[in-house]
Amino acid sequence: MFRVHAVVISVLQNAVLRMVPCVRISKNLACCRRAVGGVRWKSSHGLAPLLTASPVRALIDEKISIKGSFLPPHCAVTLCARMHSEDGDLWESFAHFNTKADGTFHLTRDDSVGGSYLGCDPMGLFWGLQPAPGEREGLRLRKKSVETPYVVRISLMEGHVSPREDQSTELAALTTERWYMAPGVRRIEIRQNGLVGTLFLPPGRGPFPAMLDLWGIGGGLVEYRSALFASRGYASLSLAYFGHKDLPGPQNQMNVGDSYFKTAFQLLQDHHQVCANRIGIIGTSFGVYLTLQLATQTGVKPSCLICINGPVGNGFRHQEADSDGMDGRVLSSVKYWTCDDQGNVSFKIFSSPENMIPESKVKVEDVACPLMYIEGMDDLSFSSKENVDLIKETLDTVGKSHLFTHLSYPGAGHLIEPPYAPNTRMSLWRVKPNKLFVQWGGHHAQHAAAQADSWKKILDFMEKHLR
Amino acid sequence: MSQTISPVLSVVPTRALVDETFKVVVENLPPASPVTLHALLYSEDKDYWEAYGHYVSDHRGTVSVAEDMSLGGTYTGKEAMGLLWSMRPEPGSRTGLRLRKREVTSPMLVHISVYSGHISEGFRKQSPLASVPTERWYMAPGVQRIEIKEKGVRGTFFIPPGPGPFPGLLDMWGGGGGLLEYRSALLASHGYASLALQYFSPGELQSSDLKIQYFETAFNIIKDHPQVIPDSIGIFGLSLGTVVAIYLAAVSTKITPRCCVCISGHHLYPLGTALNFNPKLEKKRLVTERYDENNYQILRDVRLPIPTDLSEKVDVRKIKCHMLLVNGDDDQNVPAVEAAEDIAQMMRSGGNLHLLTTLTYPNTGHLIEPPYSPHFRATNFIVPTTKEKVISLWGGQPKPHSDAQEDSWRKILAYLHHHLYSSTTPKAKM
Repeated sequence: MFRVHAVVISVLQNAVLRMVPCVRISKNLACCRRAVGGVRWKSSHGLAPLLTASPVRALIDEKISIKGSFLPPHCAVTLCARMHSEDGDLWESFAHFNTKADGTFHLTRDDSVGGSYLGCDPMGLFWGLQPAPGEREGLRLRKKSVETPYVVRISLMEGHVSPREDQSTELAALTTERWYMAPGVRRIEIRQNGLVGTLFLPPGRGPFPAMLDLWGIGGGLVEYRSALFASRGYASLSLAYFGHKDLPGPQNQMNVGDSYFKTAFQLLQDHHQVCANRIGIIGTSFGVYLTLQLATQTGVKPSCLICINGPVGNGFRHQEADSDGMDGRVLSSVKYWTCDDQGNVSFKIFSSPENMIPESKVKVEDVACPLMYIEGMDDLSFSSKENVDLIKETLDTVGKSHLFTHLSYPGAGHLIEPPYAPNTRMSLWRVKPNKLFVQWGGHHAQHAAAQADSWKKILDFMEKHLR
Repeated sequence: MSQTISPVLSVVPTRALVDETFKVVVENLPPASPVTLHALLYSEDKDYWEAYGHYVSDHRGTVSVAEDMSLGGTYTGKEAMGLLWSMRPEPGSRTGLRLRKREVTSPMLVHISVYSGHISEGFRKQSPLASVPTERWYMAPGVQRIEIKEKGVRGTFFIPPGPGPFPGLLDMWGGGGGLLEYRSALLASHGYASLALQYFSPGELQSSDLKIQYFETAFNIIKDHPQVIPDSIGIFGLSLGTVVAIYLAAVSTKITPRCCVCISGHHLYPLGTALNFNPKLEKKRLVTERYDENNYQILRDVRLPIPTDLSEKVDVRKIKCHMLLVNGDDDQNVPAVEAAEDIAQMMRSGGNLHLLTTLTYPNTGHLIEPPYSPHFRATNFIVPTTKEKVISLWGGQPKPHSDAQEDSWRKILAYLHHHLYSSTTPKAKM
């Protein structure tokens, strides 16, 4: 530590104006073991740390490499990531590092020894983001506007601290942008043929293979996964089917049926920039039922199916061959979710095959293309395991096991989404008349690993069957 | 409703800083298929710039620009960044053009496309197999851009994101005048608070003698900024900017740069003369300026032979800071290499040669800029004092010049890191 000591002495001798005397000599000031009188080693005498990241503007599923240099050797530092969601909530994460003998740390090489994650994981600060203490409960991070990036500020702090401590120990900072959309991707609102959705087209003329993107009973129109697919060269249609103001009928029930989804598939087939015989379907949660149901409709021939943590049946609705779906059942009724006395909502009962009306179950045996099922083994909200077991069994029985790929991830919860975004273990389901929460499950590090691995496998699967 | 699959073109990363590399890959082609990779940029001046390379896909139907050989085009061989540095104006464009970004808060948008077959012209009239735009930025997110208009000094200050304080840089371009911000924006993206200084605006400062005080004031504006480390400020110059840098380092008693990066310049500036106008030199210029077979103006001979009389040049023996000279041996505008030799000789006799580092690049011209920007052998130039329009020959050949830009930038950043970021053992007693 001689070098640091020398600098501090000369600083005292030259009485440089930039000194910030630090009265608090906490145990966190491990940085400068021979610090003189609690004076911070950060002085204006030519010693300034440099924090760099590459790429600073990246897609959400791209890794960022963050490095610190020109620090004292064997020095304790903390990296903090902070961002505001579109709703204005503060999300943050942090990690503790010790610089090497050359005064550097690299997130691609070094271990975090404390904080939001442990070990070597260059993206830990991103998937490890959590709502800051004091923020509202039950938050979930989901990008509504995909045409702008998340702006994440990375700060380098002295010592091993938490983000809550004294802000003025910030040594360096940089700003990164995290995008769901690559330059040139086109976002097209779809309000035709009764459909409510958003189509994302890759740049260029095409024609492109395509995906139909279906989400869960949360409803609304979720665009970010489609935007990413288009950034990876696939045309992708995010489809709303429930809980959207542009859909017909009362918003608290599902008013569309099989023909709606078939129309969506046809829209892709008929699009001049889409390869009609290279269309896949991806469904998450209740979207799995919709995916399987659509795939087994006559006249619909997808090239591949991807199912994430969802049911094979729709427990409360009769199968309709060709109706408009106006069967008047109320989706918000307790028939499809249960609630315990702590206010925790679960769909386990509704999504369990043994509780499904037999005629509401999809004829899985009719699936005629490769099917990948991604299961989070810590899914606390849906009976994913029972469903995937049933699918596997059914396909085995009819000699179609070669079509089936099952990925199961220990410690992963229900919300397996594109990588490097935080998992929500529990989120707010409803506010009135009383607050209810859903336990989605998923232990953060394992869930993050599952997202990264499954995303790669999803893209490989699409590459294999759609190109 | 087509049934055929198109090739997949990917550019990674899609958004990058201008000095970052990218990987351009085409997949899903038929094997052994001839294709042309093409880059197109529509400049702020409304010209089309393009580059292209001819490739043949491998047995898997893949072309990877970083790994495969271009068989022809504006560049050949294995050149990961050839699609950028070999750009030139589309045939039929105006002549003597130079590509310089003025608006640094937005990126350059380069369209990378792949065409079937080996084609060399008419790209915009054909349909590519696939096309992807990519953004090239001079400015990282979070960099602050501040317009400076104080104490008579004009320029733009770029400050890196974060609390600082940061090492500072005074950034000066050449005799063309005006205000170019892009290098400072890029330097700020690498952690330096950099002031792009306007010290010449044709029509505005043309007859005033630019005095040393102007530059000292600019230096102090940087020094006084709360986010700048006051004794870690360097000077970065190109061409006339280098002359100023060397002059300040040797002569100024008011400012102490910690180091200087001097590109394509010289020390042949006699004290007491105006920076932009030297009557004796003007007379000589009329006699010694040359024009090549294309009628491009060559000015390198104007300052040759290097004078032995000390009053004709800056006394570099007085320089007390580290200095890096970066020159091209094909510089047709100034005799940079000869001047560098003379500087070395003077500093050897003055006992401060240990402060000097010189990089000289073969077949490289005058305009050594950040990497992957196109090379310009000769461009339009308006002589600030006389307003005459000439085409100035800068020199250099595209490939060696581009290699020089890439290599020198890396070395310049390492040099600045070493002198402005590392803690140096203070000369004070310990």
